[in-house]
Amino acid sequence: MEHTTQLVPLNWYLLLSTFLFCLGVMGVLIRRNAIIILMCIELMLNSVNMLLVAFSSYSGNSDGQVFVFFIMVVAAAEVAVGLALLVSIYRNLGSTDIDLLNKLKW
Amino acid sequence: MNQLIFISLSTLTIVSALFMVFSRKPMYSVLSLIFCFFTVAGHYILLNAQFLAITHVIVYAGAIMVLFLFVVMLLNLNTVADQIKTMGFRVAAMIGAGMLFLVLLASLKSTTLGTFSFPEDNGMGMVEHVGMRLFTDYLLPFEISSILFLSAMIGAVLLAKKEKR
Amino acid sequence: MNTLIYTAGLGMVCLAMEILDLRKLLVPVILLGLAVIFGVNLMSWADSGPVIFAGLDMSSMLLVDHFSVAFNGVLIVAAAFLFAMSHDFYKDEQHHLSDYLTIIVFILCGAMVLTSYSNLVMMFLGIEIVSISLYILAGSRRHDLRSNEAGMKYFLMGSFASAVLLFGITLLYGASGSFKLTEIASYAATYGMDSPMFLVGSLLVVCAFLFKVAAVPFHFWSPDVYEGSPSLVTTLMATLVKVSFFAAFYRLMSSGFAGIDPHTSTILVIVAAATMIVGNLVALKQINFKRLLAYSGIAHAGYMLLAILSLKTNSASALLFYGATYILATIGAFAVALPVFSSTGKETIDAFDGLGRKKPFIAGMLTLSMLSLAGIPPLAGFLGKYYIFSEAIHNGYVAITLLAVITSIIGVYYYFKVILAMYTKAGEDTEIQFPMLYSIVGIICVALSILLGLWPGGLMGLL
Repeated sequence: MEHTTQLVPLNWYLLLSTFLFCLGVMGVLIRRNAIIILMCIELMLNSVNMLLVAFSSYSGNSDGQVFVFFIMVVAAAEVAVGLALLVSIYRNLGSTDIDLLNKLKW
Repeated sequence: MNQLIFISLSTLTIVSALFMVFSRKPMYSVLSLIFCFFTVAGHYILLNAQFLAITHVIVYAGAIMVLFLFVVMLLNLNTVADQIKTMGFRVAAMIGAGMLFLVLLASLKSTTLGTFSFPEDNGMGMVEHVGMRLFTDYLLPFEISSILFLSAMIGAVLLAKKEKR
Repeated sequence: MNTLIYTAGLGMVCLAMEILDLRKLLVPVILLGLAVIFGVNLMSWADSGPVIFAGLDMSSMLLVDHFSVAFNGVLIVAAAFLFAMSHDFYKDEQHHLSDYLTIIVFILCGAMVLTSYSNLVMMFLGIEIVSISLYILAGSRRHDLRSNEAGMKYFLMGSFASAVLLFGITLLYGASGSFKLTEIASYAATYGMDSPMFLVGSLLVVCAFLFKVAAVPFHFWSPDVYEGSPSLVTTLMATLVKVSFFAAFYRLMSSGFAGIDPHTSTILVIVAAATMIVGNLVALKQINFKRLLAYSGIAHAGYMLLAILSLKTNSASALLFYGATYILATIGAFAVALPVFSSTGKETIDAFDGLGRKKPFIAGMLTLSMLSLAGIPPLAGFLGKYYIFSEAIHNGYVAITLLAVITSIIGVYYYFKVILAMYTKAGEDTEIQFPMLYSIVGIICVALSILLGLWPGGLMGLL
């Protein structure tokens, strides 16, 4: 069987990853629910992972794949902390809407 | 054949990601993001990163998204309606993200990707090779990431545990 | 390398002491441990061999050179001050004491990774260890909505910045095919300017760093987070963390991108100018002391960006000196402010009203710290500014240095606002409790500020 890296141009992966990344950016900007914002950040991290794997496979250099493991590690830690913060806010505020967080203003 | 698989997988990825961003109910968002992560795992298999694909499914769909599901259900967030910002803000955000996309695309398109050698399938994505790299060249970052986990673990317990009064 | 291992070990010891119920001994043991680590760090000064970890050569991950050893020394001293203050600051939260202190030890580990990385993987992990631990600490007052808000805001914006950083790193990897700083540098030297992918990647990484050091226009999180976090955490963010991010930024620019290309240099000049102007001008109308120091920290970030712009022989030592003086002055100010806040229950500048009459000695410490931050000779803050500005002029950045001088003169006004509040206003008759350890930390900081101002050679000649 022919190999993917010979049939699908790398540019396609660049296009897909960039699109997903920008979709994540837009989601972070338009959503008000903290949990959805967190999911949009996960989407951004995944687009990065996909691009890393693509670069790594196309160049035959496995550094990129190993880096993806570290990104997963960090994403897991980040989500654990983020959801803990979210739960503690929900206990005080009864909501996860970030527009209600307005105690600190210049 | 591979191109066809790529295109159909990508369509699924993009549609589920769009659904995640625009869905009004958090539960639908979580479910569509899980679906999106499965399609990303499909891309990994297509790219010959088999071990990574399995890990991705286990870590993202199995652990991270389950955590999200728990929180959504625990806090009963699914009843909360409409949490998208006002129209003006939405348009501004779309223009912003669209411009970012165009700028990134324009600069990336003009790059010549000549350095890529299209290697043979050499088992690079298999557990043997990845494990070898992880426990020799990348041993130090591997150990350092345990500090990160310890810190996050202490923090999660510190922040979310109910206090005995 | 040994410094890092011992620091991680110290974190484990803290956790073990919680299990063994030895909370009373926690702060002394940590201070003792930091003294040992400082000694180990000193011993690695002369050691220039490869970094060996578990029998493997890890030089491509971590590079112990004079730069990293010097910055580690400064960071260890800063951490020691913070731990000394934590004893009284967390007096009412004894049951969480070991959690907080362990997390701060781990932040020190992350900061050490940031000063000595030689691979983008390590840089990323270092940034994340520091940031994720700070999200926790910022939100650690669980029943205080302001602390919750600070933690959440910092978390959302910080993870967004991390995602941008990762996209940048990925593009750098795609262009150069490696995460090693040396290989990225050689790629940058050969093809850097012709590869849009490399340029965009480096731009994204620079943006993420500008966010982490709170430079305008990526500064908006910092006043809110500084104000809402517990005051000791604010001190930690303003001192140890900020300087370690600057060390990492400097390392990336000097050994990763092999000098600054004209595009990045233009961007950094504009950002530095905006940072100085916005930081100093917005600080003028602050009434909350922590917000005031947040904007002052933004302004100082603008001055430290000048050192990153210069990137020549002496700019590393100028950055080290500036970072050290900034840490000393800020910790000196907070060592006075923390007990005043907890006694008066206010965090505004008028909490200091009448302090000059009630506690002249302590008011004197705050005055000297403020003067050092403002850059009044003969204190060390003046020399720090002098070295950075002269480096910038040597490298041809005359206009921006002129702007820096003007803005730092404007800055004197808001530092004097605090001093005037202490000496000219009457204030209420609340008794101010001033525990011993705070005054020891304050005295040492002020004394070191004066010493460095009179004999700068000890620190300046290091790098």
